[in-house]
Amino acid sequence: MTGTRLPDDFADLAPFLHWALPTPDQRYNHRRAASREELRAFYDAMLPRIEAILTLVDDYPLGALPEELRPLYRLALSLAEVAPHIELYGGAPGVPYAFEETRFLAAHGDQDTALGQPPAAAA
Amino acid sequence: MSETVHRWMEQYPELGSGPISTEPYISPEWYEREKEKIFRKVWLCVGRENELPKAGDYKVKRVAAADTSVILIRGKDGRIRAFHNACAHRGNTVISETGEETFGGSKAAIMTCRFHGWVYDAEGALKQVPSEQRFYDCFQKEKNGLTPIHLDTWEGFIFINVAEKPETGLLDYLGDYATHFAGFPFNELDYGFTYYTYLDCNWKVAHDAFAEAYHVDTIHAGSFPNVFSTGLQNVKLMGPHRSCAVCLTLSAKPTPVAGIANRLAGASLVSVRGESMLPPTINPDKRDDFAFELSVLFPNTLLHISEGIWFTHQFWPTAHNKTLWEGRYYVKAPQSHSQRWAIEHAMTLQRNAWLEDTATMEDTQRAMQSRAKLEQHLQDDEILIRHGAVVVDRFVNA
Repeated sequence: MTGTRLPDDFADLAPFLHWALPTPDQRYNHRRAASREELRAFYDAMLPRIEAILTLVDDYPLGALPEELRPLYRLALSLAEVAPHIELYGGAPGVPYAFEETRFLAAHGDQDTALGQPPAAAA
Repeated sequence: MSETVHRWMEQYPELGSGPISTEPYISPEWYEREKEKIFRKVWLCVGRENELPKAGDYKVKRVAAADTSVILIRGKDGRIRAFHNACAHRGNTVISETGEETFGGSKAAIMTCRFHGWVYDAEGALKQVPSEQRFYDCFQKEKNGLTPIHLDTWEGFIFINVAEKPETGLLDYLGDYATHFAGFPFNELDYGFTYYTYLDCNWKVAHDAFAEAYHVDTIHAGSFPNVFSTGLQNVKLMGPHRSCAVCLTLSAKPTPVAGIANRLAGASLVSVRGESMLPPTINPDKRDDFAFELSVLFPNTLLHISEGIWFTHQFWPTAHNKTLWEGRYYVKAPQSHSQRWAIEHAMTLQRNAWLEDTATMEDTQRAMQSRAKLEQHLQDDEILIRHGAVVVDRFVNA
């Protein structure tokens, strides 16, 4: 099935396909719901591969990513969401000493980032 | 040491140095006076011209502090006009609102009231009234257009003024603030992210929390741990507006993912970038530790500019202790998937920093409402807050 498979070179990332989420809201909810161990495992698996992923997706113009590469790109986008928690917040799934995250609303929160559209101005 | 510890007070002695009353932050009566003397009197920034690219595009924005909702609509002549969202028939909203901001468009550049089908054009004229003949002789269509609101623009920003007759035009109102920021490529950096929330605090509590850099080492120890405030520079008070340079030092090399993202886009506030796009008025001494210009466009807009980035905070009061906060973050549109990814990383970090910023606000409001402390104490680098309090007091008591 397209949309849930990874290119052969990245088949080792298959256990993390649950992170291949289209929208910022989905990625942020998944990060908040993850355990410290899950965040760490995802980060450790992605960090050595991120530059190769970005090189591959740049073979296509922004917004014209083939369907079969979108899950891979969405893993990269989830790494952008997760990285601060490993690199800065000691592995905590939430932002420490922060305002209630669920009350912070992103106008672009339900957009499919892989489509390369400009962010929405209002929800 | 060439910089004295009280240099801003020495530069602006008229602001004084005493404690600041908390009453304007907790009093419902004071808020009513702010509505009348500030929000219904001065120019308010309500959007960007490029939010409405085509004739007939509109945005309705609620402005509770001015007791209205504003329709901004681009006409067939290309001009954007502002009207109260109120039908001349029985006062219903002409455009049904779905939230604080409602976007829409009409190819014919008309607006039709859902209630009884009255039709207005983008110049505000009432064009069509179903069963018009059943109204009486005293009703004249040409006298029942939408009620206009004064609108003007500066550097692509749309401003409205709900006063019947504004005391000054927009450019006079902006004064030196307009020249200070003139020439920054706002329009080229048009890839904008919007976040919003409702805060249970006075709008000035929110303003104050963002209007100093004293908090960087404590509040942002999480998201910007290798960044230390080296204080404000170039404080400039311009009528009711104010600006300064926030200087930060980066004491360590970036974390792994941040390093990759910075290399790709340079879109994060705390990354080091190349040549300058800043106007000569900004960071005039070319300091290496310049991070961004922080300014307050009175009353409720914070505008920040830096290399390749600009962002705004807007605080829209809805009650004396309730505020709609809108944060917007703009960069140049990405050209590739990797740049788009790098921007996602930068935006995520910035969102988290804003979550750290907003964390204190409701606590501050609750503590102020206890009246345990009736005054707050400001240090010299909190001069933007002091200036804000002085300006608000001047307007309210005018």
